[in-house]
Amino acid sequence: MKLIDIIKTANSNLLRNKIRTFLTILAIFIGSFTIILNTAVNTGVNSFIDKQVASAGGDGYIEIAPAAMLAQIEGMMGGNNGPQEYNPEQNASELNYIDAETLTAIEDINGIIPGSVRPLRNVRVEYVTSNKTHTKWKLRVNELPSNNINIDLTAGNSPRTDSDQPEITLLPGFAEVLGFVDDAGAIGQTVTLAIKNQATGELINVDATVVGVQAPSVVSMGRSWLNAALNDRIFAASTKYLPAEYANRVMFATAEFDPEADLDFIKKGLEELNLSGMTIDDSIGMMKTFFDIILIVFSIFGGIALLAASIGIINTLLMSVQERTREIGLMKAMGLSSGKVFLSFSFEAISLGFWGSLLGIGLSMLVGNTANTIFHQPGMFLADFPTFSLVEFTPANCIIIALGIMFIAFLAGTLPAIKAARKNPIDALRYE
Amino acid sequence: MTKDLLLETYNLHKTYGKKSTKFDALCDIDLKINTGESVAIIGKSGSGKSTLMHLLALLDQPTTGTIKLHGTKTAELPARRLNRLRNHEFGFVFQQFFMNSNDSVLNNVILPLKIAGIGFRERKRRAIEALKIVELEDKIHAKANDLSGGQKQRVCIARAIVNNPKVIFADEPTGNLDTITGEKIMNILFKLNREKDITLIIVTHDEDIANRCRRQIRIQDGKITSDGKTQKGGAK
Repeated sequence: MKLIDIIKTANSNLLRNKIRTFLTILAIFIGSFTIILNTAVNTGVNSFIDKQVASAGGDGYIEIAPAAMLAQIEGMMGGNNGPQEYNPEQNASELNYIDAETLTAIEDINGIIPGSVRPLRNVRVEYVTSNKTHTKWKLRVNELPSNNINIDLTAGNSPRTDSDQPEITLLPGFAEVLGFVDDAGAIGQTVTLAIKNQATGELINVDATVVGVQAPSVVSMGRSWLNAALNDRIFAASTKYLPAEYANRVMFATAEFDPEADLDFIKKGLEELNLSGMTIDDSIGMMKTFFDIILIVFSIFGGIALLAASIGIINTLLMSVQERTREIGLMKAMGLSSGKVFLSFSFEAISLGFWGSLLGIGLSMLVGNTANTIFHQPGMFLADFPTFSLVEFTPANCIIIALGIMFIAFLAGTLPAIKAARKNPIDALRYE
Repeated sequence: MTKDLLLETYNLHKTYGKKSTKFDALCDIDLKINTGESVAIIGKSGSGKSTLMHLLALLDQPTTGTIKLHGTKTAELPARRLNRLRNHEFGFVFQQFFMNSNDSVLNNVILPLKIAGIGFRERKRRAIEALKIVELEDKIHAKANDLSGGQKQRVCIARAIVNNPKVIFADEPTGNLDTITGEKIMNILFKLNREKDITLIIVTHDEDIANRCRRQIRIQDGKITSDGKTQKGGAK
């Protein structure tokens, strides 16, 4: 019997009991739909993060924190480690800061660009306003650590990190509420930031020049970018009247390194200083791992559905073998080999898997693309991210998943197929 | 006229079960069947006539003894050769038809050709040829289920001859048919025997059918009780 005839026969046999076949395919479809949609979301999210990272740049930029602090954070995650005895030599609170000597020591690590180490001072702004309006708007800010980081801008430029003029970029929508004509019209204008002094609580105004307007992005996380000059002024306003020792405590530092340099070596050097370093790739990696875990959990559900579907395949084919005992006997009497009988039933199983996964691919594409369109409507949560496809179907993924499901179906079909292949033609023909 | 030796059996035994349940279905069968013969295997139910046919048709292996087809010991042939032999040289007609009742007449007739791996066009051409012989070429696209019992058995004969076999094994071919229809079916089978020199091996308990065959082999309790030319009339 030719392969094409075996495949055709297998499919026409499936059509003999349409409802039973349909229900079996439906069970496979539930599993394949879940897995394919999950994979598509995974691809979508990852490619979005990759696009953002590619646009963010940030090669050769590293954030440095005391290792003890990370250990504490991990300790919090890990739950209670039991009581630990107090050790004045290892005072945890002291280790949470980077002292001046250590900052200089970082510069000596091979690969770190000399003069690039800078304490990272997180500052807070009470509100932002301008002389064009009386309204005050909440604002969250971040210092732009390096001009290696590309910011998505709808107008203007990034703040220049090496400038001594205070420069800021605005978030989408701020240009209008601050009384400027539009995004482009805000460039070069002055905005006033109100800073609360940490000692007295008085509000101190710091002026800054708008150099650009940001596009929505996950990298900036809803914060305006400042240059070092502006960040220093805000920090000074906020820590004025505080004892110098307190004001100059450094919790985080940033540094630039030669992108060609051995990153592991740099991290080892930081470890020796009781510090730990994290690049943008590291933090993106953490974010991806987080998404991956969620999606793996969902894929496991899909896998369980497939397992149940496999039992459905076994059941369907066992019934089919039973019903077709005489036919199998006749065909074997006419010279059909046991191997071809096995193949014929295997192809029935594979066909069930094929149609189930095809249905899964088709419907998940429909659902996924509809969801994409809906979530990008104004007011929905992806409205600001036109480039982000929540679900992204790649042909390779779809083919791999379909092949995987067909293979699982084949495995499920082996038991009934062996049973059919072993039938003795005489017994089968006598079967009532 | 000397005929080629088709099937030979020597000292054939077939035993079912073990020890206490042991049952001898066939005992000491020695036969020689020539090409072009029409042989009736006659016996009551349980006499072993069907078992003998299964052994001759290479559907089953004897417990002891030798079967030769065209002079070759069949026990020495690999399963693939046996399958090929059955597919190319044998045709089967059964009392219960064994058709795919939901399939078309054409698809039922081409089954042996499909198994042989013959292409679609050639299959159809030969199916039409076979259906012409049984005078059912106008029913080619009919559903097997919609045919009468006699028509069904004619389709089965078309299926049995579609691969131009040397032998047709017929197991009670008229058992499910009325006398007149059964008569027609036998006419077709004997015509094939006469005109195409196809060997007929018919298992039956019907004396009228047996009397139309040239040779009668009577079986009782697994043993041949008589084997010889039909006395009155014989095949026409």
